Amino acid sequence: MSAPTLRPSRPRWLDVVGSAGVVALGFTVWLGLWITPPDVVQGNLARLLYIHPPIATVALYWVGAVAAGGSLLYLWPRTRSLFWDRLAASAVEVGAVFAALTLVTGSLWGRPAWGTWWTWDARLTSTALLLLLEIGYLALRRVPADPAVRARRCAVAALLIAVDIPLVHFSVDWWNTLHQGGTFIDPGFQIHASASMSWTFLLGFVAFSLIFVWLLGVRYQVEVLQDAVGDQELEVSLAERWDEDAERLGRDLVAPAPTPGGGAP
Amino acid sequence: MSYVDAGYAVALVTLLVYAVGLLLRRRRWERALKMTEAPATESNGAPALGERS
Repeated sequence: MSAPTLRPSRPRWLDVVGSAGVVALGFTVWLGLWITPPDVVQGNLARLLYIHPPIATVALYWVGAVAAGGSLLYLWPRTRSLFWDRLAASAVEVGAVFAALTLVTGSLWGRPAWGTWWTWDARLTSTALLLLLEIGYLALRRVPADPAVRARRCAVAALLIAVDIPLVHFSVDWWNTLHQGGTFIDPGFQIHASASMSWTFLLGFVAFSLIFVWLLGVRYQVEVLQDAVGDQELEVSLAERWDEDAERLGRDLVAPAPTPGGGAP
Repeated sequence: MSYVDAGYAVALVTLLVYAVGLLLRRRRWERALKMTEAPATESNGAPALGERS
């Protein structure tokens, strides 16, 4: 008797989150490009504020929390489950997309603001390292191995990724960097912007966070389906092998026994 | 095209392409699962060794 096939559920709340994310993103773009006023210092360039920091927040904190949290929960014997491994893997793949977008949108902001597309600044370099580590994790995941072995390897790799996250966060404090520190919200949580800019900024965070949750959910479903297909294929292979063995055994039982003396008349 | 427009375009297009790609991957794996389930069911329905004549 075969084990029941693992099938991902398609929860309705995920579609709601995705729809809300698309609507919020649409409003962010509309407000960011056409409604909010230009900045007094950077002019229209400041409109990148509504997408670059939210994308970076997802790439760094949300992905880091899910990947590191999932990996720790997998490594912890009491909570060990492939659910956590799949969730962490899904977060890392989505995170690689957001990390790449962080670098590209930052570069597009840096060229007119700093006069260069790229510099080996601590913030930029540690963010690029984050992307490389995530690509390495995804490569490691493709190495054929037993699911438990693969999950353990990947959990350790995800924790290495997590080590880079405080480096990215504190890089602007620990080193002299071209990238500015926190300028929109000061340490006393005072916002230095007009109301429309502040609300658009916050909406950008909400929009990209919702999009991240939706992407994470769909990517998780893909991960479950991949594993289910792998299990099924293994089961089919075993069944075919079993059938072949059974047929061979049946032929051996039916075949006449060789006569003594080589069977010559 | 300004740097701002390029930034928004890159972000939105990348996310759109990735999202569509994920949906296509999900559909492809769902089909693959259905394909593998069919032969598995046939194989599981085959007579056991003791039932063979």
